[in-house]
Amino acid sequence: MSRHRLTVVLSQAQGKNPAKRALEESITAALLMEPGLDVSIIPYLYDLHPEHTGRLFLESIKGDMVVLSWLYPRAAFWLLDRDGIKGHQGESQLKSANAEQEDEDDDENGADESPRGIGAVEVPERHIYCLDLRDHNSHLPYVEEVKRIAAECRDRRAAAGHGNASFVQLGTTLLAENGTQAPAPAATFAPEQLLAQPGRRWYPVIDYSRCTNCMECLDFCLFGVYGVDKLDRITVENQDSCKRGCPACSRVCPEHAIMFPDYKTPAIAGAPVGNISGLKIDLTRLFGGGDAMTMAAQERDRELVKEGREAVGLTVGIPKRQATKPAAPKDDLDNLMDALDALDI
Amino acid sequence: MADDRTFLMGKFAAHLPGTLRYARNHMWCRENAGQLRFGFTAYAIRLMQDVYFLEWHLSDGAAVELMQQIGHIETSKAVSDLFAPSTGVISQFNPELLKDPSAINVDGYGEGWLFEMQAPAPPLLSVDEYYQFLDQYWEKTQRMIKGKINTED
Repeated sequence: MSRHRLTVVLSQAQGKNPAKRALEESITAALLMEPGLDVSIIPYLYDLHPEHTGRLFLESIKGDMVVLSWLYPRAAFWLLDRDGIKGHQGESQLKSANAEQEDEDDDENGADESPRGIGAVEVPERHIYCLDLRDHNSHLPYVEEVKRIAAECRDRRAAAGHGNASFVQLGTTLLAENGTQAPAPAATFAPEQLLAQPGRRWYPVIDYSRCTNCMECLDFCLFGVYGVDKLDRITVENQDSCKRGCPACSRVCPEHAIMFPDYKTPAIAGAPVGNISGLKIDLTRLFGGGDAMTMAAQERDRELVKEGREAVGLTVGIPKRQATKPAAPKDDLDNLMDALDALDI
Repeated sequence: MADDRTFLMGKFAAHLPGTLRYARNHMWCRENAGQLRFGFTAYAIRLMQDVYFLEWHLSDGAAVELMQQIGHIETSKAVSDLFAPSTGVISQFNPELLKDPSAINVDGYGEGWLFEMQAPAPPLLSVDEYYQFLDQYWEKTQRMIKGKINTED
């Protein structure tokens, strides 16, 4: 029964912040003491290029997985999805330390499975749980949550009649049916390979639970980042063609499905949708940031000019309907209103 | 001289002195010896609450364009980029705020001023115009916020 092991992957922060390293180390140390867990450390998830050992390691994991990273869970989950590391989104019960009273707020979970989005494809029968290391300063909540997840995965497996857990671990599930090669069991890599520091990267991540495949990002981006896959679904085809620091396409997206995990504004970095607690409102547009489309066009022009190309302003790839869109993304405004309600004004 | 106005944000009364002029990015402006001093209006401060960090991307003497991004603010409730209320030259940023931004909350129309500019033709509103501006957008903002309207302006 206990042959099923849960893989826990801790993705380190960029840089060498001692407080972050200390949290990472104390979580790792505590989890190593727990039975039934395989614990590995990789560099900052977002920066892993396709050939990085950390990425190959992630790809080799076939069973349930917990990923602890310094990223919003939504960003981490869809980032993995884009890289072919797919699964069902496991629901974490970890609450941000700043968010005390959101138990009654279940909207967030509903939003994750919004029927509007086209969803993920070829999802194998396993769960991936993404935890945000910024939520707590102590390792204890993380260790508790990983233990809870391990129990949940065991129960789910038992309920599904998968008594023999190694079945999934061997990776003979859905992937094999599609004619792709049955992958080897979780590979082993030397720690120094796993932890080789990758260069920093910058690219958009699409949340397919929100994306409606409208292709507006494809029209807008003039740097060839987007493309379509063989199912005609929008995809971030050339991640590294993206312009560092430029989040313009995420402002253009009518569903706010495009995330830049390293961007400073939480709504763009993949903060939980419709969740105000612990999250600050972005008042930029109220304070003169202009409407999203104008900002996006300015950001794009800046990158075009840097490349020695002509600025195009609002003449290329701007959807007509956007001319009358509200100035701010609905999520921000929702947050704003909730905050205003909370102020009792 | 125009009378003071009070804009009601729900139960909160945002005081708008009649002696000041106002920018659409929710800054007030007071002219003094050719310098235009800017700060956050009570409306802006009410939305933001306590200021934690204030950061300017420019130094004293920087030339700016209208609505150029000049800084960033983080408060207990919000984050926002900050933008120039006018084309001109920023003579100085309030040095006291860089040590401790709490004056913005304590004395938003006085010691909590943000910066001084020289600007030939700042696009400013009178107190009545600013009040109307708030009034008009407050309703609309709330409707938008509630997701009641999506596309119509």
